[in-house]
Amino acid sequence: MTPIDLQDRAEYLTLALFAQRIVSVLMAYVDEKKSAKLKGALEGALDSLQRVQHPTLSRSKVAAFGSYEQLRTLDEVWTDQDRTRAVRMIRAILRAPDSPKSSKIADELIRLFSDLQNQALWNFEQPKPVSPRVMQRLCQLT
Amino acid sequence: MSTDLADLLHDTTVLHRFVDFLEGYCKEHESSKTYPDSSGEFFGYVRRLSAGIKEQLPRQIRLARKFPHRLPTLRSGILALKQYLRILHALVKPATDAHALTIPAPLIDLASEQLRAVDAMSGTQVVVLLASELMYFQWPHTQIKLQATLVQEFIPRAVLPPKLGFIELPYSQGPSFFTNLNIYHEIGHVVYEELAGSSRPNPHFVRLKSSISRWLTLALPSRNRDPQSIAVALRIVENWTQEIFCDLFAIKLIGPAFSLSFIEMLGMLGYLSRSSSIRFNPTHPAPAFRLAEHLRSLSDDGWWEAIHDTNCEQKRTLAKLAAIPSSSYRFYIDEKKPGLQAFVINFLETVAPAIRSLVSEVTRNASCSASQFSTDRVIINKCLVAGVVPHNPGGSALTPVSIINSSLLFYLTSIAELIRHFEKSNERVTVEIYSKWMKRVEAWTIKAIDDSRLYAQLVENRRAKA
Repeated sequence: MTPIDLQDRAEYLTLALFAQRIVSVLMAYVDEKKSAKLKGALEGALDSLQRVQHPTLSRSKVAAFGSYEQLRTLDEVWTDQDRTRAVRMIRAILRAPDSPKSSKIADELIRLFSDLQNQALWNFEQPKPVSPRVMQRLCQLT
Repeated sequence: MSTDLADLLHDTTVLHRFVDFLEGYCKEHESSKTYPDSSGEFFGYVRRLSAGIKEQLPRQIRLARKFPHRLPTLRSGILALKQYLRILHALVKPATDAHALTIPAPLIDLASEQLRAVDAMSGTQVVVLLASELMYFQWPHTQIKLQATLVQEFIPRAVLPPKLGFIELPYSQGPSFFTNLNIYHEIGHVVYEELAGSSRPNPHFVRLKSSISRWLTLALPSRNRDPQSIAVALRIVENWTQEIFCDLFAIKLIGPAFSLSFIEMLGMLGYLSRSSSIRFNPTHPAPAFRLAEHLRSLSDDGWWEAIHDTNCEQKRTLAKLAAIPSSSYRFYIDEKKPGLQAFVINFLETVAPAIRSLVSEVTRNASCSASQFSTDRVIINKCLVAGVVPHNPGGSALTPVSIINSSLLFYLTSIAELIRHFEKSNERVTVEIYSKWMKRVEAWTIKAIDDSRLYAQLVENRRAKA
């Protein structure tokens, strides 16, 4: 047996910490001009965002958006356009980390990932059951 | 000082006091009680994390003073850390409650030893927790590991020991022995999670994952395949997979004793009626299917034949429920709503065979022997009927698995015989008398296992010296 409620809530917390990692690294980059951890963190975020359409069982150490709880949180707080924009912004920073433009882009990314973190922390506090729409798709006579 | 900065200072102070308490709490318990090594490893992590957080908090204040527009973001970061500590907080208390005097230490030691013999599990440790719920659980440690890895980015000295799993025992069952055989199933969850998270995946595990991908294609109609529905469907099939894996894993390690104590547990929870036993739900496969898998595994390994002469209720229940045809199984997504039946049909056909292969593969060096049991059982029964701790004077040592299975079968079928031997014949048998002799059989079993392990250690030591 596994305590399912806790397992579901834990998914939200993992997402909050995942977002926290990105936000911290970006803040250090923008405010303190430190970029030692920038590449690793942003590549992890990019990898996770690109997998959103294809949830799998296997989870790499730092990947997110593999579970229902994390996908739902993402959908609650980001539009499809936000996701596309986030991917574009991450790529831009990775391409030219020393460009002054990248610093501005990073500020916008901080806002996006902070929103994601706050929603994940909210859902950790107030977990929701699987949505009726998804339930319906797993039922007979859909 | 701005209000926002004052709020952040308040947050950090609360967090400081919180970790200060956790650190002291772990230290205090470790110094006053005896714990398994695994618990010590966990307490050590909590202490290092607490000390690391205390070191990091002044940096948050400095950042807030220097970059005041970041205050809300910094506060969210502190909140995330607090929530992680909340998870650890829920683990620390039951771990400190599970000291040497409250847990079935010889069984835990034996299970840990067997666990380390499982393929790729050497070095795996299990922290025992005493829980308030009357149920055995495993805390999914994959999420804790992921969270610990992310937290380590901020607190570099807080490294969670690798291969640390968590299992919960109901506090009321701590002193009993046979009910606690259910921990083998929970240890199976630890093994499964370790296999799933391994950087060098077992080829049989890779095959299992392929079978699950195939299952998804067959079970979920393509028009229903959006990312969230796929994630929920995969969660369901993984839940079923883990439960079957853990059952078969436990049987490989301790034989029919697991099945019989599992049936006791299911009976206590009311899951053995015909209508309940055929229901798959999103978290568990149908008990009837689980027991059919038990019976298949026990038969394949010669155990069913080895216990053919035993006639106890648990064994009859096992045979009866295992015989329910699989066409009767039903999947319900909640109390009333029938789920896609294709989930069940394809799980049985596509995933179950891959689970069986994986279990056989990973336990090949740790599985137990039915033939050894058949030899040892005669000696063990003689000892128990005579009211002495099972032993084999002058002969080879009895194996712990033989002791557990023989003693459990004796416990389920022969307590009355023991009472006839030792109690006055004209005295009416009361629950108290019955309970007294049940406890005695458990106590003899525990002692016999301890003796057996000590003897094995002696033999190994002599061999090493020679």
